[in-house]
Amino acid sequence: MASKTGWRRALLPAGTLVLFVLVWEACCRLLRVDPWILPAPSSIARHMAEDAPRLAGQLWFTLRLALKGVGLGVAFGVAAALLFHLIPGVRAALSPIIIITQNIPLIALGPLLIVWFGFGLLPKLILLVLVCFFPVAWSMLAGLGQAEPHLREYLAMIGASRWEVLRRLELPASLPSFFTGLKLTATYSVTAVIVAEWLGASEGIGHYLVLKSKGYDTEGVFSALICIVALALAFYGAAALLERLAIRWRPRRTAPQGGKSA
Amino acid sequence: MSELAEPKLELQAVSKSYVRDKRPYPVLDRISLHVREGEFVTLIGPSGSGKSTLFRLIGGVERPDEGTVRIGGRETTGERGHISYMPQQASLFPWMSVAANISSALTTAGVGAAEAARLASQWLERIGLGDVAKEYPHVLSGGMQQRVSFLRALLMPRDVMCLDEPFAALDALTRADMQAWLLDLWEAERRSVLFVTHSIEEALTLSDRLYVLSRGPARVLREIAVPFPRPRRADVWKEPAFVRLKEEVLELLQKGAEAEHAL
Repeated sequence: MASKTGWRRALLPAGTLVLFVLVWEACCRLLRVDPWILPAPSSIARHMAEDAPRLAGQLWFTLRLALKGVGLGVAFGVAAALLFHLIPGVRAALSPIIIITQNIPLIALGPLLIVWFGFGLLPKLILLVLVCFFPVAWSMLAGLGQAEPHLREYLAMIGASRWEVLRRLELPASLPSFFTGLKLTATYSVTAVIVAEWLGASEGIGHYLVLKSKGYDTEGVFSALICIVALALAFYGAAALLERLAIRWRPRRTAPQGGKSA
Repeated sequence: MSELAEPKLELQAVSKSYVRDKRPYPVLDRISLHVREGEFVTLIGPSGSGKSTLFRLIGGVERPDEGTVRIGGRETTGERGHISYMPQQASLFPWMSVAANISSALTTAGVGAAEAARLASQWLERIGLGDVAKEYPHVLSGGMQQRVSFLRALLMPRDVMCLDEPFAALDALTRADMQAWLLDLWEAERRSVLFVTHSIEEALTLSDRLYVLSRGPARVLREIAVPFPRPRRADVWKEPAFVRLKEEVLELLQKGAEAEHAL
């Protein structure tokens, strides 16, 4: 039963995707669409195969930048959540500024950062941290405050210290929210890293995208897009995997609950 | 257990009121009570008689408006960290193993980590839960979770154990089972216990003394010594004296409720 629904869950979206690619291919061939407007999937695949070494190199460069940005962003996010949670007043004081940073379009912020910090790694990292830290910080902050009241009451009654309440109750209770934020961040970070590279870089898949776009090499543009989507999916998958590894205490839905009697 | 020994827990004329809709709303009215070393004392009263508030005052989570709390011979009014506690819900941490739930509470009470782990596994073995020590609590039934919760309170080296209606959420059969189990374990260990319940039978089966509280604002209506010898059988409820006492308490509770209505 479980494997059957599992199959269906995997087969249905895969089938839709294959159908979509087939319709695309058929349209390009039957309607004789110009390749510089919309290349057929088969010719994109051929282009990717021919340009594989270069694409891999660019992808590797982008991956490293994204990992640095996500790492820093998540670290800042967790630190901000803890700071806001533990010291009352900080949240109220700083949230307007933080909300403002989240409302400035990346496209506008990027060139400014380059003006201020040059073309090196620093402006790109700042951009990435600004994008990555927010979902983590805000989800985790909500999670820290939502720990079970009766567990909180228990710890108060036995006289647990603030640190014990944080470590034993609030941090573990905030993990599910933290991972919700991490999954959002993982997806956003790839878009942000492409924007960062678009604005000023000599390497990376975002840079590759700019070159191909300016040269009307639509096959190249699509090749880059596929790499970007694959990278975003891989990031999301990695975050989901980490979540499953970290949160193992939740009963699985299929397992019977309270199996043993008193 | 001499009368002269300083009580482990002593409340002197403790009063507390909350403000509700800008009007003072008294909850506790000059409550005085004590628990001696190794004594099992029960508070019984109608629901809404402020028993949970009383526990919060003893635990130091809140301060009384008037009166003092003394634990272990020292004034501890408004101070935390002097009691061990078993709440109505088992309140086990879902992300910790059964053994870690116990040992972490022990470290809060100042037991070293290694000693805490040793005590937890040794006692889980002793109460027949050794094979689930490394499992997460959700695999346990409600009754088994309450046993772990009781063990956690029992092993904390504190002067008083406060048990807040620990069996209220259990079905009747499990509840009777748990009472017998707790009676056995407590009579072997003899800790000072303050126990809260709605059930007159439970109070009479388990305790040495009980305080009958009135409806809110709670006052002590009467202090009753329970005469049945220890070790006590779980079927002590079959004795005629038990039935007489039960009627007496029931009458007190009803009178307390009527007095409130008459006002």
